[in-house]
Parts: sequence; C-alpha cells; structure tokens
Amino acid sequence: MTETVANRKKEGRMSDRGGRRGVGLIGLVLVAVASLAVSGSAFGGGAQGCGTVVLNENSWTGATSNVYVAKYVLEKRLGCKVKVTTITEGLPAFQAMADGKIDVVLEDWDNTLTPSNQKYLKNGSVRLAGKLGITGVIGWYIPRYLLQQYPAFATWRGLKGKEAIFKSPESGSQGMFLGGDPSYVQKDRAIIKGLGLNFKHVVAGAEPAQVARWTQLYKQKKPVLFYWYDPQYLNATYQLVRIKLPARTAKCKDDEKAGGDPKQYACEYPSYGLDKLISKKFATGGSSAVAFIKKFNWTSADQNTVSNLIAGKKLKPDKAAAQWVKANAAKVNAWLK
Amino acid sequence: MSVVTEAARAMPVVSHRPWWRGRIVQVAAIVGLMFLAYRAWRLEYPWPSSLVWNSLPTHFDDFQIWLLDQRTAEDKSVVFALFDGFRVFVDNLVAQFNELLLDLTWVGTTVAGTLLVLRFGGIRAALWVLGAFASFALMGLWEESIQTLALMLVAVAFSLLVGIPLGIAAGRSNRFNSAITPVLDTMQVVPAFAYLIPVVLLFSVGSAAAVVATMIYAIPPAVRITALGIRRVPVNTVEAAASMGSTGRQILTKVQLPLARRMLLLAVNQTTLFALSIVVIAALIGGEGLGGVVIRGLASSPAEAILGGIAIVILAMALDRSTEAIAERTDPTRRHVDDAARKRLRLWSLATGIGIAAAVVAAKPFGVSGIYPDTIGSEPDPRNATIEEWLLAKIQVVLDSVQDPFSFVFSITEPVGIFILQKLLLPLQGFLVEGPWFATVAGLTVIALVVSGLRPALTTLAMLLSIGVLGVWALAMDTLSQVLVATAIAVALGVALGIWAAESRIVSKTLRPVNDVLQTLPQLVYIVPFIYLMPVSIVPGVIAGVLYAFPVVARLVERGIRDVAPAAVEAADAYGATRRQRLTKVKIPLAGDAIMLGVNQGIIMVLAVVVIGGLVGSGGLGYEVAQGLVRGQFGQGVVASLAILALGIALDRVTQGTRRARKEGIG
Repeated sequence: MTETVANRKKEGRMSDRGGRRGVGLIGLVLVAVASLAVSGSAFGGGAQGCGTVVLNENSWTGATSNVYVAKYVLEKRLGCKVKVTTITEGLPAFQAMADGKIDVVLEDWDNTLTPSNQKYLKNGSVRLAGKLGITGVIGWYIPRYLLQQYPAFATWRGLKGKEAIFKSPESGSQGMFLGGDPSYVQKDRAIIKGLGLNFKHVVAGAEPAQVARWTQLYKQKKPVLFYWYDPQYLNATYQLVRIKLPARTAKCKDDEKAGGDPKQYACEYPSYGLDKLISKKFATGGSSAVAFIKKFNWTSADQNTVSNLIAGKKLKPDKAAAQWVKANAAKVNAWLK
Repeated sequence: MSVVTEAARAMPVVSHRPWWRGRIVQVAAIVGLMFLAYRAWRLEYPWPSSLVWNSLPTHFDDFQIWLLDQRTAEDKSVVFALFDGFRVFVDNLVAQFNELLLDLTWVGTTVAGTLLVLRFGGIRAALWVLGAFASFALMGLWEESIQTLALMLVAVAFSLLVGIPLGIAAGRSNRFNSAITPVLDTMQVVPAFAYLIPVVLLFSVGSAAAVVATMIYAIPPAVRITALGIRRVPVNTVEAAASMGSTGRQILTKVQLPLARRMLLLAVNQTTLFALSIVVIAALIGGEGLGGVVIRGLASSPAEAILGGIAIVILAMALDRSTEAIAERTDPTRRHVDDAARKRLRLWSLATGIGIAAAVVAAKPFGVSGIYPDTIGSEPDPRNATIEEWLLAKIQVVLDSVQDPFSFVFSITEPVGIFILQKLLLPLQGFLVEGPWFATVAGLTVIALVVSGLRPALTTLAMLLSIGVLGVWALAMDTLSQVLVATAIAVALGVALGIWAAESRIVSKTLRPVNDVLQTLPQLVYIVPFIYLMPVSIVPGVIAGVLYAFPVVARLVERGIRDVAPAAVEAADAYGATRRQRLTKVKIPLAGDAIMLGVNQGIIMVLAVVVIGGLVGSGGLGYEVAQGLVRGQFGQGVVASLAILALGIALDRVTQGTRRARKEGIG
C-alpha cells in the first residue's frame, strides 16, 4: 500500500466540478455530503525537508527490490514521503519524467538509446543519475542438470546437430528455442539463422508466461533452451547456465529489426550497465533525496536477495526491504554520506 | 460490431428454410478448392515483397517524433496547450474525487454508496454495494479500490458526456449513424496497446491519460445503445407528437428521451463494464488502483495479481447490478408514480441524505480514517484484521497445485493442449500461412460473396489486400488461424450451453455470473495458470479467446431460442412432439440466425483479445502490437493494429453481412 496523496486542497473542491454531471444524482448527493464533512480528518502527516519523491516501479521483481529498498531508506532515514507508480518502461516512463510525474527510475536497460527517448535526454528533461552498480546480462540459458548430461552444451557449438533434443509439441522436428518477453531486447531469430542452428523460435509471451513455460519443463527435468537474463530472482531458485555464444566483435549488431545479414547478429548480447534516471524537476528541485539517489548502488547478489524475499518467500516488498537494510547497515550508510 | 442487435424475431414460420443451409455446401466447395491450391503451390507464393508499403511504419515513427517535438517545445502551439489544460483539469478532477471519497471516511463512503443504491435501486443492489465495500476492506485493497472507483466514475461520466449526444444524433439520423459506425468499430477493434503511446504524448501519464484511454474503448457502447434506445421509440408516438405541432427539439426532450430512458441507463451500465474491462491496460499509463495491483503482482506475486483481479470483478458486478437495478426501478414506462408515491419518494431521498450525512458526521469525531485501517505503520492492525493473508495463502495453494507437472489435472490438460495445437492450430496455420496468397484472398472473398453478398465481398477483398500491403500477411494469417480455432471452440461451447440455458432456468442463472467474471477479470490474471496446465504456446491465447467469447455466444443462442415464436412451439406440442423433438426440430432450426449472429460476435470478441494472446505466447499480430508499445517501435505496433482492424472488418463482413443475405432469402 503506497502513500496517499499528500496535498489536500480544500478550497478548490467546489470549483471544478463541471464535468461530473454525468454521475448525476450520486454526484449531487456526494457534494451535499462533502459540504457537511468536517474539516479535521484522521490522516495526513507531513514531509520533513525532502518533500515527496515519486519512484517508478518497473514490471520485473528486481525493479521492485530497488524501489522498496530506496523507499525504506528515503522514508526512515531521510524523512521523505515516497509515492510508487507503475508506469510502463520506455517512452511512457520518459514522458512521465518530463512532465514531473515520476522523479526517479532506478533500473533502466538502455531505453536511453531509442531515438525518441534520446530527445528527452537532449532537452534535459530526463537526466542520467549514475549507474545502479549492476551489470545486466542477456543470453541463452539451459538448466544445469542438462549440462551434466550433455557437457558439450556449454557452448553453442555443442548444440549443433543436437537441436532435436529440445523438441517440443510446436517445433515439429526442430528444437524449440523459447523466446523472451516482447518488451525485452532480443535478436535470437537472427542468431539462430546466423549460426545455422536448427531451432524453431517459439515466442512464449510476457515474462510470467515465459517463466511458466520453462519452469514447468525444469520441474520435469526436461531439456529446455531459452532467452533469459541476470539479475533475476529466479536464478537463486533454479540452477541455470548461460551458453557461450560467439564473442562480441566491433561489427556485432543487436537490434534484429534492423535487418541485414543474420551472421552479423550471431554474437553475444552486449552487457548492460544499468542506469539510474531522474527528472529535471527532481534534479533541480533542491530535494535532499537527490544526493542519495545518485549514490544508491548495489550488486546483483544484493538485489537478488531482496527479490527472492519478495517473490520467493512472498514477503511484502516493504518488509523485505526493511530486512535487507537492517542486515546491511554499512552499505546503506555509505549511500547517505 | 459488438452491439448485440435483436435476434431474429417474428419471422414467417411457414416454409422457413434457413438462408445458410444451401450455402454450407458452396462454402465447403470453396474451401476445398483453396486446399487444392495449397497442395499445388505450398510455400511457393508468399505475399510478394514488391507489393508491400515498406516505409509505412517509418511514417508512423516520424509522426510520433513530431508529436514528441510539439509536446516538448518551449512555446507550445494552442492545440497542445489545450491538451495540457484538459490533462490538468482531469488529473485534478480525479484526484479531488478520490479525496472526497477518502474524506467521507471509509464508513461514510460505504454508507453513502449503500444508501444511494438502496434509494434508487432497491435492497438487492444495495446489498451488492455493501458486500463490495466490505470485501475491499477485507482484502486489504481499500485504497486501490477507491482509486479505481474514482477513476472509473470520472471516465464513465466523460464517456457518457460524449457518447450520449452522439448516440442521440445517430438515433435520429440514419446518415450520421452510418457515418459514425465505422469509427466506433475502429475504436473497439484497434487494441488499446496501439494508442497508448499517442495518448501518453498528448496527455502524459496519470489519471487523465487513463481516462482518455478508457474513453476510447467505452464511448462506442454508449453511442450504440443510446442510438438503439432512440430508434426503439415507437414511430407512431413520434408521429403523433409531430402532428400536434411539436418541434424537433420538443420531440426529442418530451418524447424520445423519456421513452428511451431505460436504454440510456442501460448505456450507463454497459459503458461502466467496458470501462472496467480495460482498467489493467489503463494502469500501464495511469499507474494506480487495482490495475496497478494486477500489473505489480504478475511479475513477482501472482497470488496478489489474482486478488486484485477478484476485486476488479467485484467492483464490476456491484456497479453492474446497481446501475441495472436503478434503470429498472426508475423506468417511467414500468412504474406510474402518483402524487402520494412521489411524496413518499421525496421523504425517502431526504432520509437517504440525512443518513449519509449522519454517518459521515458521526464517523469524523471517532477519528475514522479515509482508508480502512488494516495496518499500523507496516504491521497489521489486530483490531481491523483482514483476510488478505489468508486469501493469498489459499490462492497460492491453488497456484502451486496448478504448477505441479505431476498432478492428475496436468495429465489431462497437457494432452488436450497438445491435441489442440497439433491437430487444429498448426495444420490450419500451415494452410493459411504457407498457402498461395492469391488463393486465400480469392477464397475468402468468394465465401463473403456467397454468404453475404457483393458489397461485403468487395470490402473483404479490400481489407485482405490492405493487410498484404501493410506487410504483415504471414503474421495476419497466423492470427487468423488462431481466431478461427478459438471461434470454433467458443461457438461449439456457446451453442451447447445456450441451448441448455434456454431449457433450464438454473443453467441460465449460473451463466450470468460466469459471464460477468469472464468479461471483467483481466485475462492475464487467469491465463497464466493455463500456461502451466497446457504448456504449449498459442494454446493459452486461444483459451483466452474462447473464455472471453463463449458466454456471449451462449447468451445470444439462449435468447434466440427463447424468442422462437410461441405459436410454432405450441403447434409442435399439439402434434405431440416430445421435448427433444420440440428442441431439435423446431426451436434450434428456427434459432439458426441467432446462432449465426453468435458466430459473428464470437469472432469479433476473439479478435479483441488477440493482443492478450500475443502476451501469452500466441505470436502473430498481437505480439507485434505488444512489442511496439514498449520497445519504442511505435510504427510496427500501429501497422499490426491496422492489420487486426482490417482482419476484423473482413471477418465481420464474411459473417455479419448474413443479415442482408437472410432478408434476401426470406424475401
């Protein structure tokens, strides 16, 4: 449960009621009641100094961990009020920052590179606020038990000729490659073609759907090869191994939508130094929280610990954050210096 | 496309030969020819790349950049300043409405909602409202529910503000009606994912953006039902008023509107339900309320997403029951209020107002807060226990059993899923994707010609060709194969249930809540468990389509059978027909047209969840649209959405045009 709206404007209440006519009777009676409502109310509570900080929570668990640990520290140590939003990543989040609706995004996976989002960085409405300290890795993953059976699967060469081991109902005689969430960076179709592998690229859909698919196979100890990434809390529960793809060269291409020779794509995904972003309004607003957000920095092991408390142990994010902060006082103090 | 029109009523019973009976053979013959073409030229004729408008997505991308430039410019043009004004206005409106509901305290809000519905809708609806508020408190979702309620009421109010005047105009003018219908179709069939980006650019994120996105989806039913209401006012009443010298304005305000009142309130009801059905998508750009709970839960805590989904359904059902009850109870054509009764009602209203005020005034001094106080700080409050934890634990148990690949259920569902995939989806997909494109275009056009007539056939042809030109032919055929399989299953299920419901009151009564749940529970919430149960891609998306469409098919079929002229049924009885004969020989054949209408509606409903299919592994156009939203490939998303629209129009013409064909058949 997040904070309630901070400012309560009593005077404005009666004035802009015009558009509500459609609610008709219900609205009218509510208005009558509102005018009866006495002013003193039971909630409120003020911010001390740092004001309200709006953190945007992205749709993966790691992002939840970032946001709630930052929220805990902001609230308990800096006396800020924190509001959490769930605006979708990419352009919507950037526009929200430009409009001052979001102050902070703590984990951005290179959304800064798309041409439209570049505009926000250029005009200064969205600003980089340092690195999160975590390196995002994307690649092809298999369960560890499979590697014990087929040690050659450690690299892509070992897959060649053995694709049929990954056969599934929808892949016919080919092996199945389980693709990632449509919103994530992907070039697997091109890699498969470029390396001349006999896989059928099967889209599994959004992340919960993809996870459902491969964990089901994992539980049955069946072979599965899929697009996956780190940091990810499930990596603490499931023993996964990343397959070596051809090393990156200067000519490597990554956005398969750009087209061209698939061979140019046939190399590892780049690793991502995940960025923190803040809005111009927040950066220049003089909040004491700005320095903290810029210093906020942790490892993927830290993040996975919190994520596992949330998604694995089903702890409320607030509680998971509190638990981690208490156990890692030194790290937290360093953010506040 | 999706307004349910009156099913076949009062048709000549004598020598009724359904128009479609002779045509089934013809359609089968055409499909046979298409199959021969597929065997002869498989994979040889994909859509030619020279016939693709390649630069189209780039143009849309340019448009997006242009919008962005306008939006971020230092001195904005008047138009964009207006958008800004609207945004600020709506943002504040929603915030203050939310404030108001919180200000009344949770006790006051509950009392106000319950008493208001009690006054205008009666005791049953009031109990629904009370139960809904109680469950929000118990589920620990009070604040989120209030946020969603405030947002929905504002979105519905705006939708009606736009929709009802348009509906009145469409009801009074045929020309306006036929001009606006394609616009309404577009608004409903184009997936919300496609217009989220422009909405964000124009209205930023937050309440205003969520309200606008909701309006685009919720205005069409408001317009259609209002127009239908105006049209249903008996012609002779209007003529009588005209002959007494009423002006057009008088006819509207004194005759048409009062007589259409019940339909207008039904428009409120339907608009509300439509608005609630996209609350999760709206949360992607609005970020608060129950939709936010669902989105947050999907990644890390599916049980919470399900809990949020349940709250959405409860909110929808309470709003549905109360608006419907208000429509029924205040219908002037059903209820004649004399002076004494009017006086009594006034006293009632006064008592309601006093009761609400008393509750609020009484609650304030006791320090009752705006939000149901289930926590102190971050610890649960022992005095106001919720059953949230308990519910989450129960849901988790169910989820765990669903995820168990060694369970008994899984041993049934997995083979069923594989069967659907390997015996239905993949062959049909191969047939449509790998067959020569010209055979598919020609085949579908001729089917439209046979089934629906010349004009629908030409529309179908134009739509299919534009899908090709958009450059997404293979993806669209992939989607088409899924839509056809989902529709076939939904129609089989819906027809069976519809017939059963027409014969049995109990079944009919159970169908309604099932329908409500499936229409408003966000699909992502209940589809993810299906991935565990049927772990093959495409199938869960098809299931989503089936679950969304079959209740509507069932309802149409049920109504069609119930509406069969009683004279025909009595005649059969007189000849000593058994119950079974009466059903199979009289009722079902006579309800054939309603069944065809069910097929048509089923296809459109399935198409409406294609994007959801894309999110659970169906690929095709839905995946492209979903990817377009987040990966900054706006053009790709728009092109795929246009193709979905074209596919929708084509399929609609192939099946809905039947009404005209049917008239020809009768005439």
